[in-house]
Amino acid sequence: MSTATTPAQLVRELRDICGAEHIIEDPATLDAARILGVTPSVSVEPASAEEIAAILRVANQQGLNVVPAGGSTQQQSGSVPSQVDVLLCTSRLTEVQHYDPGDLTVGIGAGCTVAQLASMVAKDGLLFAADVPLPERATVGGMLATGMTGPLRHGYGGLRDYCIGVRFVTGDGRKGKGGGRVVKNVAGFDLMKLLIGSRGTLAVITGASFKLFPAPRQTRTFVANFANSADAIQFRNNVQRSPLSPICLELISPEIQSLLPAGRSAMAWSICVRASGSDAVLARYRAELGTAISSEVDSAAEAGLWRAVQDLPHALSQQRPDSLLIAFSLPPADVQTTLTDLEATTAANNLTLAVIGRVGVGHLLAAMWPKADSKADVGATLSNLRDRLPRDASMSVLYCPSALRHEIATWQKTPTDLESMRAVKRTLDPKDVLNRRRFVL
Amino acid sequence: MSLPEAISGLRRIVGDDAVLDRPEDLMLYEYDAGVRKSTPGAVVFPQNAQHVSQIMKLAASAGIPVVARGAGTGLSSGAISHTGGIVVAFSRMNRVLEVDVENLRAIVQPGVVNLQLSEYVSHLGLYYAPDPSSQKACTIGGNVAENSGGPHTLLHGVTVNHVTGVEVVLPSGEIVKFGGKAAESHGYDLTGFFVGSEGTIGIATAITVKLLRKPEAVATLLAIFESVDDAARTVAEITAEGITPAALEMLDGWTLRQVEAYCHAGYPLDAGAVLLIELEGLREAVEEEAVAVRRVCLLQKAREVRRAKDEEERALLWKGRKTAFAALGRISPSYYTQDGVVPRSKIPAVLQHIGDVAKKHDLIIGNVFHAGDGNLHPLILFDDRDAGQFESVMSASSDILQYCIDVGGSITGEHGVGLEKRDAMPLLFTEEDLAIMTDLRNAFNGDEVLNPGKMLPTPRMCREIAGRSRNAILAQEGL
Repeated sequence: MSTATTPAQLVRELRDICGAEHIIEDPATLDAARILGVTPSVSVEPASAEEIAAILRVANQQGLNVVPAGGSTQQQSGSVPSQVDVLLCTSRLTEVQHYDPGDLTVGIGAGCTVAQLASMVAKDGLLFAADVPLPERATVGGMLATGMTGPLRHGYGGLRDYCIGVRFVTGDGRKGKGGGRVVKNVAGFDLMKLLIGSRGTLAVITGASFKLFPAPRQTRTFVANFANSADAIQFRNNVQRSPLSPICLELISPEIQSLLPAGRSAMAWSICVRASGSDAVLARYRAELGTAISSEVDSAAEAGLWRAVQDLPHALSQQRPDSLLIAFSLPPADVQTTLTDLEATTAANNLTLAVIGRVGVGHLLAAMWPKADSKADVGATLSNLRDRLPRDASMSVLYCPSALRHEIATWQKTPTDLESMRAVKRTLDPKDVLNRRRFVL
Repeated sequence: MSLPEAISGLRRIVGDDAVLDRPEDLMLYEYDAGVRKSTPGAVVFPQNAQHVSQIMKLAASAGIPVVARGAGTGLSSGAISHTGGIVVAFSRMNRVLEVDVENLRAIVQPGVVNLQLSEYVSHLGLYYAPDPSSQKACTIGGNVAENSGGPHTLLHGVTVNHVTGVEVVLPSGEIVKFGGKAAESHGYDLTGFFVGSEGTIGIATAITVKLLRKPEAVATLLAIFESVDDAARTVAEITAEGITPAALEMLDGWTLRQVEAYCHAGYPLDAGAVLLIELEGLREAVEEEAVAVRRVCLLQKAREVRRAKDEEERALLWKGRKTAFAALGRISPSYYTQDGVVPRSKIPAVLQHIGDVAKKHDLIIGNVFHAGDGNLHPLILFDDRDAGQFESVMSASSDILQYCIDVGGSITGEHGVGLEKRDAMPLLFTEEDLAIMTDLRNAFNGDEVLNPGKMLPTPRMCREIAGRSRNAILAQEGL
């Protein structure tokens, strides 16, 4: 049983666990790793689940707050931590646990970046379908913890659909796993589901296995532009009622166009339909989509467009640090209602609105920031949106201006019973050592 | 509270005509489609979530175990009652509550029969994708508990990929909601956690499922091979071609001959194995894929590749696949079905192994399974009146299952753990893994009033099993 109470003693314990060379105490480095302005007391890079379990046991004994970190591309979400005693980096957990292209599965350490994983399997003609923002930095563990996906979410499903196994260390320092390596498996509780999107509040994810897909051999993007969001959503409905099954179906609002590669139509609401298939299949898309199509994009331009869409959540918060970025998960038929609410409430509160989204599955990302020289009320906008949220919808804040960080909860609304969520949290992290109070339940 | 007092309480909740307690009635509820039996103390038929909630409260205060039951088609004893326990049967909660065409969702009561949901929405051009072989009888509630699969889950995924929300009665009697009509909900995905929890967390009283639009085109191919090995290698070659069929099923020669004799599906009697391959989607894509699949099959030494000319031929080919178990039931007093899974690349090797095991134990083992996702269903025939033969079956069965685990697979792909494979869980999971799962169950069902003893072995059991020979345990536990 530890009796350490000072930072120096904590550092000694961490050195014993991970080795001195994997403990970062340098103030400048720690300062660069600030979590919402809070500098970690120490940063540690464990090499294994066993080391993570040992660190978490120390944290439980001493009541520390541990923040798990991958590529730190999404650490700007959540409430401001009162302190960060230990920043627990998964960067050394990069081992390939299993990979045979013929299986169409891969198992990988949580610290591997999404880009590394995607390029490893791309060499064998396979696709890792989570096209998350900043894949060169974002890690597999961080992706799972934040539940991030990208435009391919439309055609390939969410992480819950293709993550087939997970390894982790619970908040109370126990090594565990769920699922396995095979695509069909019902042995035991589906702990993948529990950890995806749990934002590092239940366990530190150490590795995961995924289903892979045959990579498309040819793709094409058809862009349709509209004067307003209602016409764009009407077009979405037409696409969804057609026999077409595109791999992406993305809404792009007028204010986003300037952030995309040149050549986009300014001030239009666009729906981008990305198809994969032979020339005959693409010709069928052209015929079905008809005159609504204003342009077709292929080759490098197509790749550039989708890469820009993929990184948009990050680009928005970079270009508009005064913006509020909200993620919605809606019943698909309610997308139009929420878009209308967004347009009305941002206009009423002197905010500029920018929206992208996988509108076929009901995912929207909305950014809003004050118009020049205006007194905008972001807080009022947020509560208005929350009050008007359709039944069964979820709403979370992914990024907010620093002035509001202390006032705004990340999970704004979810249809899922909160007391049941708290029961799960108490079971896996009873001392609340993981991301304490950052994601208020 | 005694059982008779509890039964009076149940009658007050649901009415006299919705409780069974006579021995001759209870007998009908003492088994599922697996091999175990246990007689309940009472069977109760709730009509709404409030009934279920009151039943749970009553059972909890009486300390009488409860198990939810759909159609009883499960293969892992998941719906078998604790002896003297209460079976909550859902045959009177069998209504489709809502069809939401705009959102492509349906909200159903747990007793709705799987195939009936697809039939109910068929006139809208929609269907419900997961299609267990028992889909004419099995219920959506049971499918949710077991996270059921089926042939067409290769392309579309299993039950959990099609459930977006559940209304649940917790063991406390509280009625809560997880998720809803949205594809995903923020916070912890308790919907996903609930699906496949085998009735150990709570009882679903309303389920929100995805509906899919029927594909524009479907091509059903029957590829005929001289050997199982050629057919097995073809499975990997089809995916290497960049094609994900909607379904990719295999029947070995012995099995298809029994099936043919039973239902005249048009399978060739002299084949070594057949693959039943279904492609669906856009007309142009399906035509191209059908050509490519045919080419791949012929390259892998298929003798012939037939394509169903019309819906009638297609239905016949599928009838052969879906009635395979029944066909074997006709020729053998008993059979034992396994549900192991292997990584796709290991299919040729595992089939070779199963052949060796059959020879070693002098048994007939038929193979009819979901080849596309490596989910085996070896059917081991035996005469249950011959105790010695049963022992061989269990020993052969444990050989096969151990092989699945050794090559990185699982003990169950879609049938669930239940009682049947509970004691094999320590072969896949460590004591600590299982302790975490047990704690999560206890967070909801701490007194184990709900479906006690299912899926998770007790800690003592884990330690004992870890200390003994794996094969001995598997054999002993009927695996």
